[in-house]
Amino acid sequence: MKLIDVVRRAGRSLRQAKVRTLLTSLAIGVGAFTITLSLAGGQGGRDYANAIVSANTDRREIAVSKPIQTNASNGVKEYDPSGSSAPAAQSFGDNLNEKDIEKLRTFNHVESVTPGYSPTVNYITTNGQKKYVVQSVSSYTDAVKLSFAAGDAKNLGDNGIILNEEYVKALGFGDAKSAIGKTVAIGATRQASLATGAPEDKEFSYVVKAVTSESGLAFRAQGSLLVSEPAVKTLYDFVSQGTPAYNQFFIASVMLTDQQYAKEAKAEIEKAGYTAQTAEDLLGVVNTFINVLLGVLLGFGALAVLTSVFGIVNTQYISVLERTQQIGLMKALGMRRRDVGRLFIFEAGWIGFIGGAIGSGLAILAGTIANPIISKQLDLNGIHLLIFDPFQVAGVIVMLVIIAILAGVFPSRKASKLDPIEALRTE
Amino acid sequence: MIEVIDVTKTYGKKDQTFTALKNITFTIPDGASVAIVGKSGSGKSTLMHAMSGLDRPQEGQVVIDGEDILKLNAKKVDEFRARKIGFIFQSFFVQANESVSDNVSLPLEIAGVARSERKQKIAAALSSVDLTEKVANKAKNLSGGQKQRLAVARAIVNEPQIIFADEPTGNLDSVTGQKVEDMLFSYNKEKGVTLVIVTHDADLAEKCDIQINVIDGEIASINKKGSN
Repeated sequence: MKLIDVVRRAGRSLRQAKVRTLLTSLAIGVGAFTITLSLAGGQGGRDYANAIVSANTDRREIAVSKPIQTNASNGVKEYDPSGSSAPAAQSFGDNLNEKDIEKLRTFNHVESVTPGYSPTVNYITTNGQKKYVVQSVSSYTDAVKLSFAAGDAKNLGDNGIILNEEYVKALGFGDAKSAIGKTVAIGATRQASLATGAPEDKEFSYVVKAVTSESGLAFRAQGSLLVSEPAVKTLYDFVSQGTPAYNQFFIASVMLTDQQYAKEAKAEIEKAGYTAQTAEDLLGVVNTFINVLLGVLLGFGALAVLTSVFGIVNTQYISVLERTQQIGLMKALGMRRRDVGRLFIFEAGWIGFIGGAIGSGLAILAGTIANPIISKQLDLNGIHLLIFDPFQVAGVIVMLVIIAILAGVFPSRKASKLDPIEALRTE
Repeated sequence: MIEVIDVTKTYGKKDQTFTALKNITFTIPDGASVAIVGKSGSGKSTLMHAMSGLDRPQEGQVVIDGEDILKLNAKKVDEFRARKIGFIFQSFFVQANESVSDNVSLPLEIAGVARSERKQKIAAALSSVDLTEKVANKAKNLSGGQKQRLAVARAIVNEPQIIFADEPTGNLDSVTGQKVEDMLFSYNKEKGVTLVIVTHDADLAEKCDIQINVIDGEIASINKKGSN
C-alpha cells in the first residue's frame, strides 16, 4: 500500500470521529500553547535584554573598576583619635587613579580609555528662568543609542549640550524643537579655590544641540545632561581640582579596537587586578535569569504534553477496539501488518499535528493581542516581549507530531497484531 | 487451478486438540463455481480460510497456479491475497462511514494500484453491480442488498482470479439474494473467475459446478454437475 494512501485513510478516519479527534487534540494543544508562548517569551526576553545592552553599551567597551574591598578582609580597626585611621570621605583605595588609566591604555587591543567623570554641579538655568537642580552631567558616547525628539548629537563640540524633555519644559522652551540653538548655563562650585582657598562659584554656558525623548531601551544616559567628553572634563577639573577626589575615578571605560577581543582583553585586565565587565557579561546575567524562567514554563508545557500522551493512547486504543472488523477486513484483503500499524500511527500523528497547530495558533493569536498591552503596562515604548519565531513554532509542532506518533505505537501494535479470522467472526 | 492436498488443521494444545480439518484433498479447475457445503461447525469456513491464505493449517499443501501458498512468508501471502483473491462476507463488512467509492477503492489501494487507474476501475466495478449512481453516497445509507452488491464490487474491482464468498446471501431476503447470486454467477461465467461459495443453502449449492460436502472436518462427498 502506498504511504500517501495510508496517510489519506488515516485523515479520513479522524474526520469520521471529529469530536473525539478534536477533544484529544485539544489536550495536546494546551501543551503546544504553553510551550509556544514560553518560547516566544524567552525569545522576546532575550531580544529585549540584548537590545537594552546594545543600546546602552558598545560591545567593544569594557567597564573597569577596582575590586571592592570589604571591611571584613581588612579586619576591624581600633579608632585612632589622631585621624589617620579614619576612612577618607570616599574610599579612595577602591578607585582608579591616573596611573591606572595610563596602565589600562597600554593593554593590547585597547583603542582608548575614558575615565568616568562625574562632576557634581548645582543647577541649570537660562535667561530669565529659575535655577533647577541637576542630577548629573555625563559625557556623551555614541555607544548609547539615544532617541532624539529634536536635533542630533553629531556636532556636539566643546560647548554643546543634550537636554532631556523634562528640562525643556522646566526651562520654558515650549517644545523640543524651539530649544535647539538656545543657550543654557550650568552652575558649579569649587570647594576650595586654588588661589584663595575659599569656595568659588562659576557658570558654564552651553548651546542646546539636541533633546532626547524617552526610550524603552536607553537607561544609562536618561535623566542626565550630556556634554562632550572634553566639556565634562573641564567641569570635572573645575569642581574637583585641589580636592582629595581629584583624578580618582570609580570606573573607567576601556574601548577596544574590535569586539572580538572583549574576552581576551577582559582576562588580561582582570589578571592585572581590576574588575572588568563586558557587555556580554551583563547580557549573560540577564539571560541566565530568562532561561531559568523559560525552563520552568517549558516544564509546565511538557507536563501538559505528557498528560495528553495518555489521552492519545486511550483514544487510539479504544479506536482499535471499535474498528476490529475494519482492521480484520483490511488484513483479509491483503493489507500488510506494517501498513495497518502505520494507519494508526499516522492517525496519532495527525492528532498531534492538529493539536500542535491549534495550540500554537492560539498562542500566536494571544501573543499578538497581548504584546501591545504588555508593552503599555511595562512602559516599553512599543517593544514586543513575545516574539514568535516561525522555525521555533514549526519545531514545536514537529516535536508534538513525533510525541503523538510515539503515543500511537502501542495501540497501533495492537491493531497490526489482530488476527483477521478472529476479527471477522460474525457470531 | 486450486489443488488442496492432504490439509489438516488442528486447534488447541496436546491434551485438548480439536481437529477442524482432516486430510482434505481435492482439485478445483480454473473458472469453476464451487460450493463448500456443511453444517455450522463442520469446518467449511476453516477450509475457506486455508484455501485463501488467511489461515495456516499444520499439514498439507494449497497449490494455486503451481505455488504452495502455505509455504509463502507473511508478506507474500498478503500480496497473494491482494492481487489474486476477492472476498465476500455474510455480514458485508462494508465501511459504513465511508463513501461507496472509497469502499471499492480499498483493495486497489492495498494492491498499490496507481491513483489514475483507480477511478476507471471503480466505475467499471460499480456499473457491473448497478451502483453507479450511488458512487458518492455513504455506505450506511444503502439497503442490505445494495451493501452486498457494494461488497461484490469491492471483491471484483481488482480483477481477482478467485472469489471466496462466505454465505453471501445469508443476510438477504430471497429476491435481493437472488440478484446477488446472479451477479456472482454471471461474473464467474463471463470472466472465467473461479468462484468458491461457502454455504448451507442447498438451492445455492445446486447452482454450482462442484459441490464439496464437509462433515466434521472431512470430505463426505464431492458432486460434479452433470455427473449424477
